[in-house]
Amino acid sequence: MNNTVIARLVDVSKYYGNGAARVKALDRVNLSLCRGDIVVLVGLSGSGKSTLLHLLGCIDKQDEGNIIIDGIDTSSMSLEKLTPLRLHKIGFVFQSFNLIPVLTAYENIELPLLFKGLEKKAISERIDEVLEEVGLQDRKNHYPREMSGGQQQRVAIARALAGKPSIVLADEPTANLDSKTGDGILDILLNLNQQKKSTLVISSHDSVVLDRIKNVVHIHDGKVSVDTEHSPCQTL
Amino acid sequence: MTIIKLINIALRNLFRNSRRTLITVLVSASGFAALAIIAGYMDFTFFGLREMTICEGFTASGGTGHLQIFKQDALQKEERYPLEYGIEANDKLQSTIESAGNISFTIPRVEFNGLISNGEKSISFLGMGVDPVKESKLIQYWNSLDNMSVKVILSDSSYVQLKKTAPNGVLLGEEMAKALNVKSGSGLMLMSTTVDGAVNVVDVTVAGIVRNTIKSISRYYLLTTIKTAQNLMQTDKVSKIVVVLNKTENTDPVRPLLSKRLNGSSAKPLFSVIPWHDLAEYYNSVMDAYRIIFSFSGIIIVVIVFLSCTNTMLMATMERVKEIGTLKAIGISNIWIILMFLFEGFFIGLISVVVGIALKYIFSWIINNSGFMMPPPPGMSFPYRLNIFSAVEFLPWISLLVIVSTTFSGLLTFVKIRKISIVNSLTHV
Ligand SMILES: Nc1ncnc2c1ncn2[C@@H]1O[C@H](COP(=O)(O)OP(=O)(O)OP(=O)(O)O)[C@@H](O)[C@H]1O
Ligand SMILES: [Mg+2]
Repeated sequence: MNNTVIARLVDVSKYYGNGAARVKALDRVNLSLCRGDIVVLVGLSGSGKSTLLHLLGCIDKQDEGNIIIDGIDTSSMSLEKLTPLRLHKIGFVFQSFNLIPVLTAYENIELPLLFKGLEKKAISERIDEVLEEVGLQDRKNHYPREMSGGQQQRVAIARALAGKPSIVLADEPTANLDSKTGDGILDILLNLNQQKKSTLVISSHDSVVLDRIKNVVHIHDGKVSVDTEHSPCQTL
Repeated sequence: MTIIKLINIALRNLFRNSRRTLITVLVSASGFAALAIIAGYMDFTFFGLREMTICEGFTASGGTGHLQIFKQDALQKEERYPLEYGIEANDKLQSTIESAGNISFTIPRVEFNGLISNGEKSISFLGMGVDPVKESKLIQYWNSLDNMSVKVILSDSSYVQLKKTAPNGVLLGEEMAKALNVKSGSGLMLMSTTVDGAVNVVDVTVAGIVRNTIKSISRYYLLTTIKTAQNLMQTDKVSKIVVVLNKTENTDPVRPLLSKRLNGSSAKPLFSVIPWHDLAEYYNSVMDAYRIIFSFSGIIIVVIVFLSCTNTMLMATMERVKEIGTLKAIGISNIWIILMFLFEGFFIGLISVVVGIALKYIFSWIINNSGFMMPPPPGMSFPYRLNIFSAVEFLPWISLLVIVSTTFSGLLTFVKIRKISIVNSLTHV
C-alpha cells in the first residue's frame, strides 16, 4: 500500500444545536486515511458516523479543528467554495441512492463528468467502463424508477467512481437493501478498491461488512478509536 | 455541453408535474392573450378615432383631412381684417398641390364668424364655408375604408341638402336651431364684417339641422357654402385648403414633398403644411389616456404572470430539495442549479406565448363575430361595433414581456436554493 495521506482530520469537533440541547456529535477526532485504504466506520446509532463522513466529504463544516483533503486545508473554506473540490476529489454514495429521477442511469453518471469538463467521447467510454464494473451495461437507458434499489445503488456507486475521485465515501450504502443485495454492493465496492486502489470509507453497523473489512475505525459518542493493526497510516 | 444538459433537465422537469405546469402556462398564456387583445382593441380604437378625426373631426372645423395648407402668416400673425392671410385657391395652386402625388382631392374651407338673427334675436356663430360636394367626398372616404369591416356608415345627406339650397343655404347646430326657434326652410340673416371693415348682411335659408355634433359646439355651429361666406365677407380667398390623401399612412411622407412643391426652396416659406395629428387634440388626449390604461393593465398582468410563475418555481424547489442537495453534494455549483430553474421559467414563457397566440386569435374571432356593440365614446353620439385588430406589431413585445417575467420568476429560487443545506436535504424525503 501507498503511504500518501489522502485525508487528515486534526482535532475535529462538531456540535449540533444550542444551549441545553447542544450535542457533541464529534469530539476532537484525529484520523488519517492513506491512498488505497479501505476503512469501515463502526459505531452505534447516533455515535457520529454520518457526521464524520459528511465532514470528510466536505458537505458539512466542522466547528473546531482542521480537515485536509489531498493536501488542501478546507477549514477556512465555505461549503460553496468547496464545490469544485467535491466535484473533483470526492465521490459520495448515499444511503438512499439519491439519483436524479429525470435522468437515466447513463445520464446520472454523465452529469458530474460533464461538469468536470470531460470530452463527450471520454465520458461515454468512462461510463461504459464503470457500468460494466457495477454490472449494469443493460440498464444504461433506464430511469431510476425503473430499477430496483440494488441497481440504483450500483448506479450511484458508478456515479461516485466515474470521476476517479481521490476518496469515495459511502454512508451505510447497504442499509436500504436486503442482505443479499447488500452483499453484492459490498463486493463491488471492495473489488473496485482492490483493482483501482481508490480510497474508500464505509460506515456500517452491518456485521457482514465488519467480517469483510479489516480496517475498522470505531466511533463511540463522537470519539474515535482506531484498530491500527492493518493500516499503518491511521493515527489516533 | 453542460448547458444543453441543463436545458434538457429543465424540459424534463417541466413535464414532471404536468398539471401544475399546465396551470402556470394557462395563467401566463391568458396574460399574453389579454395583453394582445387589449393591444388589438387599442389599435382598432386608434384607427377608428384617427379616421374619424380625419373625416368628421371633433371640433366645429370639421374633418381635418390628412394635411392642411395655411398661409404661414395666418398661423403667426393676427389678422387685421377677415382673411387678410387667406389663400387664393386657383387652378395653378390646385395643380401644384396635386403634383405632390398620393393626393385624392382637396377641400377649400373658409372660417368666419359673426351674428345670426331671426329678426328678433341674434346670437353669435362660428361658421365654416364649405364645398358640399367635396365634403361629401370626405364622407365617402370614411365609408370606403375597408379596414373597418363593421363600421358606422356616415351620411352625407346634410351636404346634399346644403348643395340643393345653394347659394344661400345654411346648416345649423341643433342647439342653435332651438335657440333661434327655426326649422328647415326658415329664413335667417347672417351678419359679419367685410374685408374692408364694413358690416354686411346676407339672407340665408336653413337647409338642415345637424344633430351629430358635440353638445358644446352645437350652439355656435354653422355651415354654409364657400360662396355665401365669401359674399358675406366680400372676398375670394379661403382660410385653408384641406388635402385628402389616398391613405392615412402617406401623411408623413407626403407632407415635406407638398411643402417643397408649394414653397420651392424659399428661405421664408409662404405656406405651411400641417399634418392631421397636429390638429387632433381630442385624438391625442384619448391616445394618451389609452396608453396609460394599457401600461397599467400591462403591469398588472405581468405581475400576475410573474407571481404565478414564482409560486410554481418555489413549489418546484421545495419538492426537489433532496435533488438540489444531491447536485450540490456531487459538486455542481449553485449557479448551474439556478440556471436550470431559469430555463424552466423560460420554457414556461415560451410555451405560454405559443398557447397565448392561439388563445388571442380564438378570443378575437369570438369577439369580432359576436357583434358586441360598444356605447358611444366620449364626444361621439353613436355606438359602434367592437372589433379587435390583430396588432401584430405588438406581439413580439408582449412575448418578450411574458418570457422575461416567467424566466425571472426563476431568479427568486436563488435565495431558496442557496439556503438548502446539503446535509439536511439528504434526510429529506
Ligand atoms: N441535524 C442535526 N441536528 C441535531 N443533532 C444532530 C443532527 N444530525 C445529527 N445529530 C446528532 O449528532 C449525533 C451523531 O449523529 P450521526 O447522524 O452522525 O450518527 P450516526 O452514527 O450516523 O447514526 P446512525 O447509525 O443512526 O446513522 C447524534 O446524537 C445525533 O442526534
Ligand atoms: Mg448515519
